[in-house]
Amino acid sequence: MNALELRNISKKFTSAKTTAVNDVSLTLRTGEILALVGPSGCGKTTTLRLIAGLERPDSGSINIKGQLVVDDGHFTPPEKRGVGMVFQDHALFPHLTVFENVKFGLKGQPAAKARETTYGMLKLVGLENFGERYPHQLSGGERQRVALARALAPHPVLVLMDEPFSSLDADLRHEVREQVRGILKAMKATAVFVTHDQEEALYMGDRLAVFQNGHLEQVGLPEEIFHESATRFVAEFMGDSDFLPGTVQNNGIQTELGLIPQKLNIPENSSVEIALRADDVDFDQSDHPNALVLARFFRGAHYQYRLRLTSGNLVHAFKSHTQLIPPGTSVRAFISAEHQVTIFHNGLAVEAR
Amino acid sequence: MQRWKNFLQIPKRINISPRLLLAAGLVALFVAIPLVYIFFRAFTGGADVWIRLLQTRILKLLANTLLLTAAVTCGATFVGVSMAFLTERTNLPGRHLFRWMLALPLAIPAYIGGIVHLTLLRPRGGVIPQLLENWFGQPVPTPSPLGFWGAAFILTLFTYPYVYLLSGAAFRSLNASLEEAARTFGRNNWRTIWEVTLPALRPGLTAGALLVALDILSEYGTVALLRYETFSSAIFVQLSGRYDRSAASILSGILITIAIIILWGELRLQGQARYTQMDSQWRPASLLPLNRWKIPALLLVLLVVSASLLVPVFVLGYWSLTALLDPETLSSIMRSGSQTFGDYIWHSLWSSALAALIAVVLSLPVALLSVRYPSKLSKAISRFTQIGYAIPGVVVALSLVLLVNQFLPFLYATPLIVVMAYVLRHMPQAIRASESALNQLSPSMEEASRTLGRTSLQTIFQVILPLILPGLMAGASLVFLTSLKELPATLLLRPAGFDTLAVRVWIWAAEGFYIQAAPAALLLVLASALPLYFLLRREQIFK
Amino acid sequence: MKNSRKLTILLFVMMMLVSACGGGNTVSGEDAAVTEPALPVGTEAPVVVADESVAGDLVIYSGRSETLVQPVLDAFQAAYPNVNILLKSGSNSELANALIEEKANPQADVFITTEIFTVQSMYQQDVFQSYRPAAADQLPAEFIGPEDSWVGITRRARVIMYNTELLGADEVPTSIFELTDPKWKGQIAAAGSTNGGMQAQIAAMSQLLGEEATQEWLTGMIANEVTFFGGHTDVRKAVGAGEFKIGLVNHYYYYLQLAEGSPVGVVFPDQGEGEIGLITNATAAGIVQGSKNLSAAQAFIDFLLSPEGQELFAELNYEYPLIPGVALHPEVQSLDEYRLADVNVADAALNLDATLNLIETVGLP
Repeated sequence: MNALELRNISKKFTSAKTTAVNDVSLTLRTGEILALVGPSGCGKTTTLRLIAGLERPDSGSINIKGQLVVDDGHFTPPEKRGVGMVFQDHALFPHLTVFENVKFGLKGQPAAKARETTYGMLKLVGLENFGERYPHQLSGGERQRVALARALAPHPVLVLMDEPFSSLDADLRHEVREQVRGILKAMKATAVFVTHDQEEALYMGDRLAVFQNGHLEQVGLPEEIFHESATRFVAEFMGDSDFLPGTVQNNGIQTELGLIPQKLNIPENSSVEIALRADDVDFDQSDHPNALVLARFFRGAHYQYRLRLTSGNLVHAFKSHTQLIPPGTSVRAFISAEHQVTIFHNGLAVEAR
Repeated sequence: MQRWKNFLQIPKRINISPRLLLAAGLVALFVAIPLVYIFFRAFTGGADVWIRLLQTRILKLLANTLLLTAAVTCGATFVGVSMAFLTERTNLPGRHLFRWMLALPLAIPAYIGGIVHLTLLRPRGGVIPQLLENWFGQPVPTPSPLGFWGAAFILTLFTYPYVYLLSGAAFRSLNASLEEAARTFGRNNWRTIWEVTLPALRPGLTAGALLVALDILSEYGTVALLRYETFSSAIFVQLSGRYDRSAASILSGILITIAIIILWGELRLQGQARYTQMDSQWRPASLLPLNRWKIPALLLVLLVVSASLLVPVFVLGYWSLTALLDPETLSSIMRSGSQTFGDYIWHSLWSSALAALIAVVLSLPVALLSVRYPSKLSKAISRFTQIGYAIPGVVVALSLVLLVNQFLPFLYATPLIVVMAYVLRHMPQAIRASESALNQLSPSMEEASRTLGRTSLQTIFQVILPLILPGLMAGASLVFLTSLKELPATLLLRPAGFDTLAVRVWIWAAEGFYIQAAPAALLLVLASALPLYFLLRREQIFK
Repeated sequence: MKNSRKLTILLFVMMMLVSACGGGNTVSGEDAAVTEPALPVGTEAPVVVADESVAGDLVIYSGRSETLVQPVLDAFQAAYPNVNILLKSGSNSELANALIEEKANPQADVFITTEIFTVQSMYQQDVFQSYRPAAADQLPAEFIGPEDSWVGITRRARVIMYNTELLGADEVPTSIFELTDPKWKGQIAAAGSTNGGMQAQIAAMSQLLGEEATQEWLTGMIANEVTFFGGHTDVRKAVGAGEFKIGLVNHYYYYLQLAEGSPVGVVFPDQGEGEIGLITNATAAGIVQGSKNLSAAQAFIDFLLSPEGQELFAELNYEYPLIPGVALHPEVQSLDEYRLADVNVADAALNLDATLNLIETVGLP
């Protein structure tokens, strides 16, 4: 049984001109972490709030663990949905101690059992000695873990996390997200995780759902999203791709950087765009230059070069430290990818023939 | 009709709680009914009464009222801003102490201040003219506290703290970078103040000025004491002079209209106002050196502080001592009927405290609705319940007398009707306090509570209320403070044997027995100073 | 945040404490029996036998100055220790209005006023119930309301008081009509339009002279820059301090000011040939229809007309007792020496609305 099922969910805010969430359908399996990712204002947070019951959709239905929680005629309020939520600002209750915060969701349980569970949760997040403190006495990372412990303590069928790491420093963020993923997996929790950071989404999500302008662009495993982007937007958003124009011919695609021998399922002479990442492109200093080195960036393990092609299009390329080519050098760029590159026609990925 | 339907219809997708809407609606109804009733009485008042009023009074009263309101508003704005400037932006010696002394006159009801100044300054009979006459052997002309200029002067003295507090906070919250930026564009200190600082103060300033304007519009005791007739005092005269309520209703209707116009203006200005935020980058703007102006500035502040705080408190203290040391006076002030002085204190405290409690409780659904479910409807309800701001105590009392006697006779002549008047009149203060407290509370607190299994009602009690309690207490203190001072509604509505401190002050003072009035007045000032202290401590500048 | 919460709690606790102290002071009937009634120094408390059979709340609406009425209430309290007196002081007309509002829902037991016009119109509005105290037979007939609706208590006269340091006895006006003479411009004080005594005087003058002549007099007073105060205490104090040369007051205000040691004199005006005579008025009281404590209300009216009650008014407030045989205050001139204005009180009361219209028309402050 699916832990979560969204069917044709739409939501428009009265004050807004555009639709916040437009006909989104999603499913989530038990024990899975789904990362909702997209630029700000894309509808991912609204989708999360719709699942939690903090907003009510205009149309569509949501099932949690097979239970209908909302459709046209029915609405289950958030307190009856059995979901746990971690908020962007953590929303720890400042008038309660850490212990009381975590215990807050355990009402209705016998006191002794609630205390035991709370203690167990604090121990799981490594804060068993912080129970008597108040939220303002904690560091950002500690607050983050309390918020998670509080959301997990009632053993919710679904954990919802809204940009939970955005208030943390970059260093801490890497450390905390590793801990959080570990805890979620240890609890075998089913979770929906919202972020605008593609790298974080790739790290946290068992699967990813990419949003843009209220649309769900693509759902899939991290590898699929990264290497087999379904739309030009996904390719652009997930991985710093450059887009090189090309024309479909019967033996491949003709581009400025030569013929790419991939056969496509669309008519000849159609215009397409080829998504190229820096590791798909290389260059050398031959007699027939077709590009100019504009800039060179140090990227640790290698250099990244920005090249301007004769047509004016920009591409990027990685090179090792062995060679240093100064900006202003004329070079010959070529496609070095050994795998199939992703090709888009009218913004959508084109299948190979 | 269709438009109304659309307006009232709650869109399905707004997850608004019908119970909350109902509660807020009932509160609005509670506030609105007395008003609507007064309007009804005014316009069914009969043509002959209108004609009589038009022939004799209305225009003159209108002119009197508007003139006084304008004069005091200007005066209070000028005094308030200049005092705020001196204590917040210059190196005035002792400015930390002056801050308190300039705000504390809020605890002194204007009519009590008026009594003191009247005694001191009354031409020929007053203490100062007498002293001068004794020194010089002949009468020396002194400014009179009576009439228009006297009323304007005394009301300015006791209302400027509104402007002082609001513009003082604005002066303080200005970031140094704002003025520094102006300086880099080649403005000197004083031009910077004029061109950058003062315009930036505008929101705080207008808010303060409009508070003053509404206060003067509904002022009764002081103008009656200083014999300057305005709408409010005329309503009171009509109420106590004739056996006919329609003239009073008509005057009230007109007064409410003026007040609503002013309130509307305030809401419009407030809607656009944006106060400067004190974020982590905030640095206080630097203090301007006064140099050779130091002594004149100090004298000016001392003059204001003396006239509005030190002299009244000293005189009240002196009179109180005189009263307490004279057995005859003491015995006469200790009793009225079978009531004693302790009863007056108790009546004042419990009626004001109950009013504060009720006002805060009633403000909650309105504030929750307008802050958490912003929509045209919820805004309208919130605005509507704030109408009490604009309505003088006399009018509230009149509407309650008429309404309660007709529909709830068992409530009439109980202390509860006095409490009801306080609530109606001071509800806006509670609503504003509750709204601002809720605005500072992140909605995610409530959402977290909901996702942790609490219903919306449980969330209110377990999360929202504990967190906004300090804000609610501020609102309650404000309602308590203003109810304690309230005079005209109490005078008209009090049942026999339910005199408050304010009423006792008035009963004695209206007959010229100032020494007898002093102990109650002093207690009233002290009792008001306590919640005021609490309120001021919440403000940035008094920490 | 924590600090402010502590402060809040502290504040509440303090409020409760203060309240509790105040609440403890409520006088119960038993306590009051022990307490000595507060009489001014020099007045001997009359020996009374306490009547404990009359009990309960007695609600008195009083248009009289509280300083004057409280000693009487204290004496009544001493005589009837089990009565709990609830007093509402205000202006005559304010309380009269309240009585009319409350007709369907009566709150007061007794209404006591400074003049007859108010009680007469209350009679017309059916506010009072009949009660004829035993002492009524001793009252002049004109001081008993129609159908025994009210009774007069004491009498007072409208007089001119003056500051003897500023004015010689031969210079003082002997008629109220001289007060409009421009030579007194800005030197006269009087009570204003909201004062019952002044209203009654205007009503009486309208009755005697007609509305036109009265209006002329009022306009003359206003043109003469007479300063109108809210009450007569202000007037007497101002004249006593020399702020004004002349004041138009009820006679006892002169004696009260004299007792304070001020240099003041008095003229009982309009005694000459063809002049209107001394305008007098009476304080009066009645029992309200629907009174919830009739026995206490009747006891109170009886007390006001008892020698003891009458003496208190005469002693403390220099008023003229209406019950024969009660001595005047030794300093007070007897009314027998003066010619009184011939006013029909009942008729004058009919003109109350006209009087108020007149006051508004001339714009009396």
